[in-house]
Amino acid sequence: MAKLILLWLKCVIFWATIEAVFEDQVGKFDWRQQYVGKVRFSHFDTHVQSSKKVLVATERNVFAALNTRTGELFWRHVDKSGSEGNIDALLQHGQDAVLMVGNGRLLRSWEISVGGLNWEVVLDSGSFQSACLVGQQDMVKHVAVLKKTAISVHYLSNGHQKWIENLPETETVDYQAVYSDGNGEVYVLGVVPHSHIAIVVYSLEDGEIIKQMSVEAPWLSNIQASCVVVGQGMLTCVDSAAMSFYMLDLRLQLQMTQVPLQAYSVNLFSAETGRRLLDTTLIDFYSVFQLYVQAFLKKDDSVGYRAMVQTEDHTLTFIQQPGRVMWTREEALSDVVTMEMVDLPLTGTQAELEGEFGKKADGLMSMVMKRLSSQLILLQAWIAHLWKLFYDARKPRSQVKNDITIENLSRDEFNLQKMMVMVTASGKLFGIDSKTGGILWRHYLDNVPPNAAFKLMVQRTTAHFPHPPQCTLLIKDKDTGLATLHVFNPIFGKKSHVTPPALPQPVLQSLMLPLMDQDYAKVLLLIDDHYKVSAFPSTKNVLQQLQEMAASIFFYLVDSSQGRLSGYRLRTDLSTEQIWEVVIPPEVQRIVSVKGKRPNEHVHSQGRVMGDRSVLYKYLNPNLLAVVTESTDLHQERSFIGILLIDGVTGRIIHEAVQRKARGPVHVVHSENWVVYEYWSTKSRRNEFSVIELYEGMELYNSTVFSSLDRPHAPQVLQQSYIFPSSISTMEATLTEKGITSRHLLIGLPSGGILSLPKMFLDPRRPEIVSEQSREENLIPYAPELLIRTEWFINYNQTVSRVRGIYTAPSGLESTCLVVAYGLDIYQTRVYPSKQFDVLKDDYDYMLISSVLFALFFATMISKRLAEVKLLNRAWR
Amino acid sequence: MLQRDRIPLQLIFLQVALVVTWCFTDMETGPGASVSTQPNGDRFKIEGRAIVPGIKTQDWVSTARVLVEGEEYVGFLRTDGSFAVNDVPSGSYVVEVVTPTYRFEAVRVDITTKGKMRARLVNYIKTSEVIRQPYPLQIRASGPHSYFMKRETWGWTDFLMNPMVMMMVLPLLIIVLLPKVVNTNDPEMRKEMEQSMNMLNPNPELPDVSELMTKLFSGSKGSSKAGSSSKGTRPAAKRRKQLPSSNLDAENGKFC
Repeated sequence: MAKLILLWLKCVIFWATIEAVFEDQVGKFDWRQQYVGKVRFSHFDTHVQSSKKVLVATERNVFAALNTRTGELFWRHVDKSGSEGNIDALLQHGQDAVLMVGNGRLLRSWEISVGGLNWEVVLDSGSFQSACLVGQQDMVKHVAVLKKTAISVHYLSNGHQKWIENLPETETVDYQAVYSDGNGEVYVLGVVPHSHIAIVVYSLEDGEIIKQMSVEAPWLSNIQASCVVVGQGMLTCVDSAAMSFYMLDLRLQLQMTQVPLQAYSVNLFSAETGRRLLDTTLIDFYSVFQLYVQAFLKKDDSVGYRAMVQTEDHTLTFIQQPGRVMWTREEALSDVVTMEMVDLPLTGTQAELEGEFGKKADGLMSMVMKRLSSQLILLQAWIAHLWKLFYDARKPRSQVKNDITIENLSRDEFNLQKMMVMVTASGKLFGIDSKTGGILWRHYLDNVPPNAAFKLMVQRTTAHFPHPPQCTLLIKDKDTGLATLHVFNPIFGKKSHVTPPALPQPVLQSLMLPLMDQDYAKVLLLIDDHYKVSAFPSTKNVLQQLQEMAASIFFYLVDSSQGRLSGYRLRTDLSTEQIWEVVIPPEVQRIVSVKGKRPNEHVHSQGRVMGDRSVLYKYLNPNLLAVVTESTDLHQERSFIGILLIDGVTGRIIHEAVQRKARGPVHVVHSENWVVYEYWSTKSRRNEFSVIELYEGMELYNSTVFSSLDRPHAPQVLQQSYIFPSSISTMEATLTEKGITSRHLLIGLPSGGILSLPKMFLDPRRPEIVSEQSREENLIPYAPELLIRTEWFINYNQTVSRVRGIYTAPSGLESTCLVVAYGLDIYQTRVYPSKQFDVLKDDYDYMLISSVLFALFFATMISKRLAEVKLLNRAWR
Repeated sequence: MLQRDRIPLQLIFLQVALVVTWCFTDMETGPGASVSTQPNGDRFKIEGRAIVPGIKTQDWVSTARVLVEGEEYVGFLRTDGSFAVNDVPSGSYVVEVVTPTYRFEAVRVDITTKGKMRARLVNYIKTSEVIRQPYPLQIRASGPHSYFMKRETWGWTDFLMNPMVMMMVLPLLIIVLLPKVVNTNDPEMRKEMEQSMNMLNPNPELPDVSELMTKLFSGSKGSSKAGSSSKGTRPAAKRRKQLPSSNLDAENGKFC
């Protein structure tokens, strides 16, 4: 029996694993773009003449080498996010790059040609100030690290400390810079604000103080911001208040020489060549943030230069000598906050056909004529298409280019190609073609506050020709709560002519209603801190509809600082009325996330057929909210997480579960009649998944419509938990058009893989003991551990670093779900949770089928002939 | 003052060196030697080496990372394949080497508050089970990741081993061979066969499809079938009588 079960289990697993990538599908419908983030430090690799590398260290704690010809990555190292992986300094010498990481905690040396680590040493804690390479007779062998109270010198070859010295007078002097001129001396520059510069010179050999001096500089407050050492120990400072320029030779102790300036600009600091290039090529760019110039001697002894420019919108542009842009990288895309996928518009001809139905009819004859003309246009387009196919077929394959531009964008047969509208933290919006990954439009919003929260909503899709599609981006300042709206066309990226309302009050909540105005734009409701509601668009038609619908419009507000969850109802005069409130004591636990269901989700089957042919009906409450709380007590014995299922309309608590000895981060997916969440179990030190499923029971209370106000019976709740052998970064469920296809969970792992885990593994009805009925239902016997199989990785070896979110969208094919994973990288693919049941697979064996058909045909012919002969012979007998 | 500050710093370095070299031989470290300068408790270092047999380290280290408990602590691989994850407080961690191409087994590393280290196999179900692993870690790649499914290719053996074909061929063999081997007229044998037939029927509660069908079509269709079969024989008999002439016609037709 056990063997039988095992065999059957194998069968099930086999059946489930068929959803995987085939090797020949690589790159067919998926793509990945890798980013590094906003550049903080950059160095051109100059130690070899022909080197094509430029090293970048970024604010996203990434250290990478870029190809100067193409802008692609040679290698990339992604450190821990947050302050512990923060890169403080980048120095380069020959093959080695020295990095200061985590506010002076770690000193790392990288081998830049391979991208491997040379060494890593831990330094003592202390606030990092500056670092420099220390040379002696043209040999660089040491690195000096300046901290708030101490200076240390390390060997470049192995990172070992040569000496460490405490700095004198640290109470008054703020040491900020370190410099070495290559003569065995280390200069430490400190400043007493608005008084003088203190200079301490150490001997490289043993760390003895050679001399100490101070120079009057009453105007100076920060060396790092306004000073730089140029040439052979020439300290150059700028006093912007007095419009002057100071110079100090560090080796000869002198007064600072003052050079008054007439007027200066940022351009003055860059080399002359750099300014010229700014004038020639960067006219339409946003203000320049950083500029890295490398000048080199060409073969004919003329000076050449290369420059990498970072602009305010986090675009990295590489410019070669005659002002030629070699490549650009949109580093803003390394920090995508939210995104939407929008259907592409119909082609002109299709739109013409559609327009025929939209317009008012004017007489029979003209209708017929219009129909004929539009059919003619279609025929013309078809012939043109055929001609193009024929024309392309004659050319070699490499020459055929299918460049997608904004002009020839059109929806494909199965709606598999869409427009990805991505919102980045820097405030730059992108429109990306989902098929190729090409950026079709970009738009920089320059008034975005640095800590803004974004919410992107599609108000009108492309389905309402001739009205243009419309997206609305709600930008909210997290501190003040004040919000602005940006309304734009998601296909072209242009700002809409519709003027959004000004929002003088902080916005608490926003919701899209299924109501539409006369122009087919969905209504967006915004609730301000006086609980007043405003609508956008707010035409008379909309307001009238709102008044009619007001009794059935409910919304909820979450105040996590006070642990309050409250539900409101809309009154006809657009004021609101509180109808319920749930308070979760903030001293004990805090609300981490509140998840509703996705509004565009469809559930195909109302219930599940059981082994005995009865039906278990799902509890499909569209208003259900899953509230996750974490305990404030983080002690591993007492910490817990809680999950509350609350009806968003009535405030009724449907279910409450507490997971003891568990802590966050909790990832939740809420869909259909189930909630899946993942947490860290402190008791057994592992990640665990738990699934809650809600069922109405064997009978449906009201099968036609679901109303939160009229559901007397509490649902049956089933729950089961599993061990997951990895921590996770993010989680999302697949989504298909009609909801017939089985669901998978897409799990972003820290290793960069995106696991597609069939939902049937997370099913609380998985039995511990196999029975006839459970086998009939196709339930997998319960096993405590969920497996991670690399065949289930939808992105094979195309790892996605630091996955932050996974976006799923249905396509026109029921079997196919479009997936975009974003984080540091962006990865787009398609998944088929139940295999491709509605299209022929791409490995469909046409040869076999046709050969079998032909063989059968000939066999019948031959056998018919033989039968005839046989009959004839028998007749003659 | 300067000298006095220097002493603890050197002590720490001494201690770090001790941890590096003798961490497995249970060295008692000097009390409070490192606590004085590190406000957030002792921090330790997880060390080890990752090996991909047959592959040069330069070819894979640039894409590899060492993840300790997800992304809580991150380490990088040196050009010789060794690694060290610094600044890890005491506790129990799952350490894994992650590359997109090669598969490494994860290892659980326990660090006591005194910095004693041990490595053991990861067992998520029996979390307290200890199967020692070498420390400093020696992690060997168990081969490349298999991301792809094999395409089904068509071959004669596949065709023959196809369950449908097997189902067709086997009964045929049974029909042909069985009557020759077994004497079906034996009453004992018949009983046994009936029993085995009952065993095959899996769920007595479920309505059997074939039974249902026979019930449905048993009334009129059954008789009509019988009728048709009898009809079928009669023309055949007739034909047999007429055959010579009709066949002659056919022959004539062909020859014309």
